This record gives sequence, structure tokens and C-alpha cells, in this order.
Amino acid sequence: MPFEAKKTTLIAGELLTIEDAESLLEWLLKHPRGQLDLTACTHLHAANLQVLLAARPKIAAWPQHAPLATWLHTALN
Amino acid sequence: MNPLLIQFLAEGREFLQSISEKLLTLENDPNDSASMNELFRLVHTLKGNSGLFDFPEMSRVLHAAEDVMDVARAGQVTFSRALADQLLEAMDFVSGLLDDIDAAASDQLPSTHQHATEAARLGAALRGLMTQSLTTVAAAASEPVSAAELPVENSAPAEWVVAISEAVRMELYRRLDAGETLYRLIYQPEEDCFFKGEDPFFQVIQLPEVHWRQVTAREDWSPLAELDAYRCILRFELILSADAADLAEHFRYVPDQIEIFPLTAAMLVVPTGRAQAEPMATDFVRAAQTALASADYVALAQATRTLLELSAPDLWIASALRWLLLLLDLPQAANDGLQLLLAEIGKHLVSQLPSAPLFAKSGVKSPLLPSGKEEKPSVEKGGLGGFISSDTLWSAQVVLEAQREILTLPNHPPWLSGQLKAVAASLTGVCISLGREAELITLQQALETALTEAAPQALLTWLDQQTLPPTEPLPQFVPALSVVKSASSAPATPAAPNEPVAFNRRAEDHPSSSPTIKVEQVKIDRLMNLIGEMVVAKNALPYLAGRAENVFGVRELSREIKSQYSVINRIAEEMQDAIMQVRLLPVSFVFQRFPRLVRDLAHRLGKEVRLVMEGETTEADKNIIEALADPLMHIVRNSLDHGLETPELRRAAGKPSEGRLTIQARQESDRVLIEISDDGRGIDPMVIRHKAYEKGVIDEATLERLTDQEAINLVFAAGFSTAEQITDVSGRGVGMDVVRDAITRVNGTIELRSQVGQGTRITLSLPLSMAVTNVMIIASAGQRFGVPMDAVVETVRVSRCAIHTIKRRLTTVLRERLVPLVSLNELLALDTLQRTNSDDEFAVLVVRIEGEYLGIIVDDCRETVDIILKPLAGFLGAVNGYAGSALLGDGSVLLVLNPRELL
Repeated sequence: MPFEAKKTTLIAGELLTIEDAESLLEWLLKHPRGQLDLTACTHLHAANLQVLLAARPKIAAWPQHAPLATWLHTALN
Repeated sequence: MNPLLIQFLAEGREFLQSISEKLLTLENDPNDSASMNELFRLVHTLKGNSGLFDFPEMSRVLHAAEDVMDVARAGQVTFSRALADQLLEAMDFVSGLLDDIDAAASDQLPSTHQHATEAARLGAALRGLMTQSLTTVAAAASEPVSAAELPVENSAPAEWVVAISEAVRMELYRRLDAGETLYRLIYQPEEDCFFKGEDPFFQVIQLPEVHWRQVTAREDWSPLAELDAYRCILRFELILSADAADLAEHFRYVPDQIEIFPLTAAMLVVPTGRAQAEPMATDFVRAAQTALASADYVALAQATRTLLELSAPDLWIASALRWLLLLLDLPQAANDGLQLLLAEIGKHLVSQLPSAPLFAKSGVKSPLLPSGKEEKPSVEKGGLGGFISSDTLWSAQVVLEAQREILTLPNHPPWLSGQLKAVAASLTGVCISLGREAELITLQQALETALTEAAPQALLTWLDQQTLPPTEPLPQFVPALSVVKSASSAPATPAAPNEPVAFNRRAEDHPSSSPTIKVEQVKIDRLMNLIGEMVVAKNALPYLAGRAENVFGVRELSREIKSQYSVINRIAEEMQDAIMQVRLLPVSFVFQRFPRLVRDLAHRLGKEVRLVMEGETTEADKNIIEALADPLMHIVRNSLDHGLETPELRRAAGKPSEGRLTIQARQESDRVLIEISDDGRGIDPMVIRHKAYEKGVIDEATLERLTDQEAINLVFAAGFSTAEQITDVSGRGVGMDVVRDAITRVNGTIELRSQVGQGTRITLSLPLSMAVTNVMIIASAGQRFGVPMDAVVETVRVSRCAIHTIKRRLTTVLRERLVPLVSLNELLALDTLQRTNSDDEFAVLVVRIEGEYLGIIVDDCRETVDIILKPLAGFLGAVNGYAGSALLGDGSVLLVLNPRELL
């Protein structure tokens, strides 16, 4: 399980695979104001990126992994 | 090498073999739809498998082949010789790649990109076969993009340039000026790329030295509820320092989805900002042009700085001036670059509106502003805002952001003091318009500190204190808040995907599973060795029984041991037999390559050949079968090249124009017979005789004496070739002798019969298995030796008086035949005489070597035993005269002689 759901915050694991995009999308549908904690995340599959781009959820914490954080900042800002 | 790859290599070869078989079948019967489907399935599966590894060249060629097959299967393209040729060539290419990969044999996957051009060519050729009515997928050439081929953007400022913030562009400009090569890369992954296992984001994130990046969607995102996360509409755009070849290599799977443009400095110089009338600018342009004309760069820089200090930093003119300064600052900056920029400033001044409303919400967002901050003006209220309209607040926000951006510019330009003053002036303006005059005193102090320190830090601190909300909400705070808010909401559990994703896998993907398993030969060999040891250990039991009876005098125990022995013996023998069975391979293992070989050779030689193969299921030991491959290949080549005639000659000789080559295999008792026969011109003994004489293989006397059959057998002599010309097919004189040697090495024999004009027949006789050898144990000079039973004709007792000396050689007459005799002790250089029995008779072992009889005098002939012969290894390997060694039941080692080598 790459996610840990805490009420309105979804805490992502280290790696979000292509299958996780589906779960991510569903969670975001269920929690339109849900937030994402990506601290532990080191990579997410492009499908997840698509979901994030389309849903634009609030990012509660950016990844600690610098390259990913840079990319996500550019993509989501 | 990882096990997956090893399996892929093994399977890949099998697939290739089946593919070429199917291709040949189809060539004979293009309408065989079952074969067609099977062929498609094979190509498709192989392609799929190759995708597991990093071999894009292989996948590309296979993909093209698959497409062609798909079209052919649908009947849109007829299966032709050309198509088969092309596909076979593609398969040869893949086979070559497999060999390369196999040869690399390291932990690292070898890169196959050196074959990229070849792969592209094959791919294009294959796709070229598809008719034009079909959508021809562009076979994307994967050659590294050379700079000359790159499309160059026109000079008009493109939208993408404006999207890059000025600071980044200036940084890029400096890099370019310093001689770095920068590329702008656009990567638009295809929509179904996720289903191919690609991760475009990963691909992009791996790129080093990215200076600027942007991720957008190619179309508007559909509402979240309808979003198809697995349809990729991403568009990545980035600017990076890299080598074009490296980029091409990085994206070699998707060369058609990326665009690479080289970046030039001129592209970047695009001033951006708020347009506003700047009364002094017109004068400046005039002055600057004069300065430029007289190459007075110092004056120009001075003028620019002055104007810059006076202009608000977010104005277009300020941006232009900053560029101007940068250009002036860099030594390589071209004069016309400056001129262009000045001209543009002039143009801008003319075109702009006389007065743009201050702080108005402009249609075009200033690129200096990071977007996404607009939603937060409310937070501002605690800072600078009072009861002020949101519009004004927003404008203030914009200005403050701009000031922050300017202050955080990484490098400190020489006009820093002016910059700081300008920032302070802007901030003052903001404070006044927001009614926060009280802050002006601290601002003034901050400015003074900043000026004395020549660093913007103090102003930044002021800005931080005053205004901006944290860019991100504090993570530890937010969840706590939301707990209260959504206490009643259902616990959030990401639901499992409600339906499985439909991957477009085809039904043909599942090959019918066969109840067989693949085992490495090493494992079987180990079993063989173990059973060998088992047999030896088992054979020790009778000795033990003997000792129990004779030494310890316990008869009862001896009998029990013997009965146990018979049980173990039976099981061991069955086990041995079972393991032998495992090692058996059908001869089709060797035969399967002939259809392709015959087809290709026949085409090349311009002959028509029908290949008939019979008894492919006949089985023999793996080693035998493998030893057979090369000799058989040679014989078949010879038949095609020398045996079968061209269609014209055949018709002239009254034979059907199509020659017939038959390869037959069958089992006869414990031997496998393989017959290769053709209905070609046959071997003329007269020609052979003369050739042999010319080449000095035989002398004149032999020439007269030889029978026709003996003459034909001369083709087995070393260095003999009958072909008039050496072709690339055969005829180099290293022919039949090599074949014969290879066959003899596995204890086989070869026989050749030929009738002039009727054809040639070659019969190979091979043992079923090499694993167990039946040897006769002989004794000589107090030692025991083994002699393979294949060679032994008979054992006789010859009395001393029946031995005569003819020409200093011992001979005797046996069954009215003169048999030469040699003493084994003499052959082995043992310094003892052969012993006779009490009747003064010698034990003679008559062996047959190449049709000649020879008697070997030994001391005694004992029983025959089945042994597992192990070739002599290490230093002993070089010793001639021995076939190998074996362990006997009592634990002693038996050396097995090789009579042929001994003589």
C-alpha cells in the first residue's frame, strides 16, 4: 500500500506506481479538498503526475527528494 | 547475467527458429492461414519479450516485422518471396543481436545502440512492404540528431521564450556565452505510452543539468470524474545542457516523440514586462544609438544604468535595459545584438499605450510573477492590508512579488544600488497606496542598511516581516485543523480500482503450454555423474560379499549382501536408463536448420531443390546429436554445391529440373543411421582417381589398383577437393576428411556410395549414447586395461608355434586370413614379455581398425563390463592412446585403451 490515508490527508509512500494513479484519482474524487503529503516520495509515475495536474490538490508537504520536488514545484505551480 | 535474460536468450533463439520454419512453410503455401497466425503470434511474443529488456533496436525491428505480419495476416499484403526475404533478414539481425548480448555475458546489459542505424533501415524496409493504402507509421530514424539537421527557430520571440522568467533566461544567456551547448527539448509522449510500460516522467526526471522545465497538458484536463489517468496527454518542455547524441540515446525508444532544438543566445533576449510610457526612454534610445555607433560602451552602460535606476523594475523598459546591460557586460556580445535590442526598445516606445493604468490587472500575466499566488490575497490582510478592495490588494501583491523577485536575483549586478533604491521606491508607493505610512520609517532604515551592505538582504527581511504569507501551509498544522472540519466525513480509504485496466493484450499471447520443463545440461550431466558413482558404489557390494565370506567366514551375511545388491542393482540400472532417456534428443534438433539452409543455398546457386526429411523423431544422445550438426551441414552443402546440377543440366540429362535431397534418420539396434542422398550427378571414380593423383594423394601404382569404391572413398582423404572453383559454399579442400573425423570422434562411421549420373548416398552410423561404454578388461604386465568392445572382433588363443615373423613383424593365420600381431607391452613401452598360459598359448585380442584386422597380444582376457567412460583431463589429456578412464567396483581405476590411437 503506497498510501496512508489520514482523514483529509493522503500520505504517499516512496514510490507511486502506475497502478496507484487509479487509487490516487479515486481518493481525490472522494476528497475534493484533500491534501497530499509527498514527503517520503522519491518518484511517481507519469500517470500520477497527470492526476495531480488535473486535480491540483493542495500539497501539504513536498517531497524531500530534491529532483522530484523541483519538478513537481514547476509542474504544479 | 540475470536469469530472466538467460531465459530470454534461449527462448528467443527458439522463437527465431520457429519463425524461420513458419516463413518457409508459408513460402510454399502462402494461403496457410494457420501458419500465418502462428507466425504472427511468434513475432508478437518475441517482440513483447524483447521489450522486457533494454534493447530498443531489437524491439523496433520486431515491431516492424509484427506490423508487416499483421497486415499480411489480414490479407492486405500478399506473402511473397520478397517479404519472406525481408523478414528472414530481420530475424537474422535479431539473431545477431542475441549473439552479441550473449557474448557480452556481463552483469550489465550490453548496449545495442551501435546497431541503431541497421535497425532503422530494416524497420523502414519492412514497413516499405506494407502497401501505401495503409497508414505507414513513420519509421523513425534513430541516428543521433546532428546540429546541422536541427530545425532552427525563427527570430520572432516565441511564446515559449516569454514563459521562461527573465532571471533564468539571463542565466541561460550567460551559459551560452560561456560556450555551453543548450538544447530545448519537447517531449510529448504518445497517448497509450503507459500501456507500453513507459514512464515519461521518469524518463524526463533522469535528465541531468536541466535549467528550465515546464510540464503542461496537450489538451485541457477533463473534469476529474471523467479523467482517464492512463491516457497520457503530458507535454514536457525543458532546457538543458547536454549532448544531442546523448539526448537521442536517452530517448532512443521514442525518437518520434521528442523534438530537440538548439538554443541560441539571440532567442533569449526578449524583454518582458508591464508596458508604460517612459518619457526619458526616447532620449535614452537616441543617446544609446550614438554611443553604440561610436563604440562607447562605457557611456552606453552608464546611460542604461541611469535609466534603469529611474524605471520601475517590473516595467518592460526596465527588462530591456537589464538585457542591454547583460549584453554589454558579456565580452562576446555582438554589436548587432545591442543594436537589435535598442531598435526594439524604440519600437516598443512607439507602439505602447500612452498611459497604462498603474497596478491594473493586465490581461497578460507578467512572467516575472510566479503564478498561483493569486488565491491568497486574503491572508495578506493580517500584514499590509486594511479595509482595502481586493483589486488593489491584488495589485499590491503583484508589486510586492515583483520586488521580492528582483531582490532574490541570484547575482548582484553593478547597478545594485539603483536597483535597491528602485525597489524601495516601489515599496514606498505600495505602502502609501495601502495607507500604511507607518511602515515607511522601517523601510527607510532597511534601505540604508542594504545600501551600506551592498546586499539586498535587509530589504528582503523587511519584506518578509511585512507581508508575505508562508508559501506553503505548515504541514503539521493543517491536518490538525482538518480533523475538526471533517470529523463527520467518512474515513478516507482509497478504493481499489473498480475494474481492471483493459490492456490490449491479444488472445494469441498465450502459447499453448506444454508439459515439458527446460533443464540446463549441467544439471543432467550432474545426474549422469552421480549415477556413474552410484554404479561404481553398487559394484563394490559383490566384493564386500566376497570378503564377508572368504575373510570373515560369515556366509549368511554374504548371501544377504548379495540379495540386497541385486535390488540396488536393478534400481540403479533403471535409473541409469531413465537418465539416458533424458539426454536423448530427436535428430530434428539438427534437421530443423536444413530447410532454411537448403532454401538459401539453392537460391544462391540457382538450383531447384526439394528437401525431403524423414524420421526426424529418431532420438540419440545429446552429445551425439550435437556432434552431428556440423558434419551434416557440410554434407548437405556438398550435395547442393557439387551433387545437384543446375536445372538446365538436369533437363539435358533427362531428369526433372527440381533436384531431390533426402535426409533420413532411423534407429537400428543401438545405433542411429542417418542417410543423406541426392539424385545429382554422382561421383565419377575416374575423375577422383586423377584428381587424387594430381594432388599427390595417391601414387601411380595405387591409381591402377584402386577399385571404384575405394576411389570414391578418396574424397575422405585430407586436402581433397573436386570442385573446379572454390565457391563460398564449399570446395576449400577441408571437407570430407573433417566430416569423417568428427563422426569417428563420437564412435561413428561414415560410408559413401555413388553412381555416376544417379546420385550419391552418404550413410552415417552413430551410437545411440556415449554415456555407457562396454569394455573388455584385459591384463598385461600385471595391470588391467579396458578395450572398447566396438573395436574388438574376437579373442583367441594362439600357440607360440603358430606365430610367424614376416618382414620382422609377427603374424599369424586366423580363419585363413593373415593377421599381423603386436604385443601390448611393446605398444605401451612396458619392459616385460607377454605371458602365455600353461599350454604356451598367447591371448590375442583381434581388433578391427578401419576395416583392417589386427591382433594385440595380451597376457589375459577377462570379463566385459559396462563403464562410464571419463575422458582424461588435465595433464593426462595430452596422453595419446587412451580413450579415458573409469572406476571399477572395487574402487580401482581402469584405463581404457584406444587401439586406433595406440597404433
